[in-house]
Amino acid sequence: MELYLPVAEMSVNWLMLIALGTGVGFLSGMFGVGGGFLMTPLLVFTDIPSTVAVATTLSHVTASSMSGALAQWRKRAIDFTMAGVMLGGGILGTLFGVWLFALMRRQGQMDLIVALTYVIMLGGIGFIMLRESLATLKAYRSGVTASRRPVNRGWIQALPFKMRFRQSRLYISVIPPIGIGFVVGSLSAIMGIGGGFIIVPAMIYILRMPTNVVMGTSLVQIIAVTAITTILQATNNYSVDIVLAGLLVSGGVVGAQLGVRAGAKLRGEQLRLLLACLVLVVAAGLFYQLIARPLDVYSLSEGMP
Amino acid sequence: MRRALIAALLLMAAPARAEELVSGISQDTIQITSNYTGTDIVVFGAIERALSPQGRSIVVVVRGPDEPMTVRRRDRVAGVWVNRDAARFEGLPAYYYLASTEPVARIAPREALQRYGIGLQALTPTAIGSHHDPEPFRQAAIRYHQRMGLYAENPGSIDFLSETLFRTRVPVPAGVTRGQYNVEVYLFRGGDVVSAQSTPLFVDATGLERRLFNLAHDSPLVYGLSCVFMAMLLGWISSVLFRRPA
Repeated sequence: MELYLPVAEMSVNWLMLIALGTGVGFLSGMFGVGGGFLMTPLLVFTDIPSTVAVATTLSHVTASSMSGALAQWRKRAIDFTMAGVMLGGGILGTLFGVWLFALMRRQGQMDLIVALTYVIMLGGIGFIMLRESLATLKAYRSGVTASRRPVNRGWIQALPFKMRFRQSRLYISVIPPIGIGFVVGSLSAIMGIGGGFIIVPAMIYILRMPTNVVMGTSLVQIIAVTAITTILQATNNYSVDIVLAGLLVSGGVVGAQLGVRAGAKLRGEQLRLLLACLVLVVAAGLFYQLIARPLDVYSLSEGMP
Repeated sequence: MRRALIAALLLMAAPARAEELVSGISQDTIQITSNYTGTDIVVFGAIERALSPQGRSIVVVVRGPDEPMTVRRRDRVAGVWVNRDAARFEGLPAYYYLASTEPVARIAPREALQRYGIGLQALTPTAIGSHHDPEPFRQAAIRYHQRMGLYAENPGSIDFLSETLFRTRVPVPAGVTRGQYNVEVYLFRGGDVVSAQSTPLFVDATGLERRLFNLAHDSPLVYGLSCVFMAMLLGWISSVLFRRPA
């Protein structure tokens, strides 16, 4: 059951990795997120070097998102205009992220920055999502219909360069989508994630896109960003392991299909509540690692910083 | 297998009389294949009939290629563990295994061990760019490799098959670095080396593993693109396979 990974230079249990891919793929299909924020820490936990984990998870995210996006595409639930505009910011963000990655690695603060970013992003977003979905569920129960799309979008309506996004039934400035794309692109390079857990809430709460197009559109954006980052990681850091990617992807695509079906049976609010809990659990785990006394206060990395 | 080995040893024992020590290894290359999970090599040899009881101290050292490494120390800053000080080392091997007939401290004085690089404490890398005492950082690097099974000292692990024939097993774990390794066999007498022999051992990947590794380093763009292509293709295939008949 052991298989040698040529780039990670180690043997792994391939059945376990396929199972890991399937499990994370299931969640990604269900919630419309890539699952990188779960996969990267889990891979590191199985002793795979963190540089390889970060770079290779991206392929898993690409595949799971591809599988999920095609399912959404058949439902005509993708806003390609919005995805294209966000990708413009995404490419810039990726280049910035790769530059920042190299800088932080030289300083030896890579792990800290990654962990802090994870804790802050996941903690903040998880908390907001939890509060909103609990409020919505409570409103359902008491028979009051919560207003889903408030008319007043405040500062976003005031921005220039407005554009019509037919599929999303929106007429807003291109600046917020480009900005979100940029942030997600840079985080993708630093954290090895597709950024679904940021894009999905940002689309819902900042852009106020209808929930039915959010899933498909975010997946298209994630596919593009992770594909570009994979190529940048392969050419800059030689840290993509194609055998590992194959294992994760094989499990991931099956899991994603099952996840999409499971997700269709749940209501949007329930989905968001579950995703919020999952995000908060990961954030809490990473926070604990930051403050707990490490097993050995010394750590070693090969090569020169 | 064992009988063949002993036969080979006996054949080699004849010329050994002249030079006191002759040694060999069971294989001179380790091929890393897709199901490689670590292996053992056998280091064997023969010594001239011992003249005195101290004449049988043998040390086997297997040393991997040197690898530059950086060791960082975390300190608590505002409740969070942050990397503060660092030391960079050159001249630490990626793999180090020592087998001996008895603890090395009893075989020879420190200076002699230091001179031949025998024992983990004799690994003295050059510290670069460190503004503080590099010693705890060096100890940490050794600890790290011991945890990974890449550094080990195993005194008393050399078996004597007869008065002159010896043999030991050297574990080569799955996490080893590719490159040229050296198998050194030392014969000590009275606290000093009287005879030594060094044999190279090559660790390399073969077949598909090697081709993938080479592709990743020689044409990373093609490699990266194939990764993305594979991911998208598998995503698409699964989507078609799982398509529910509408």
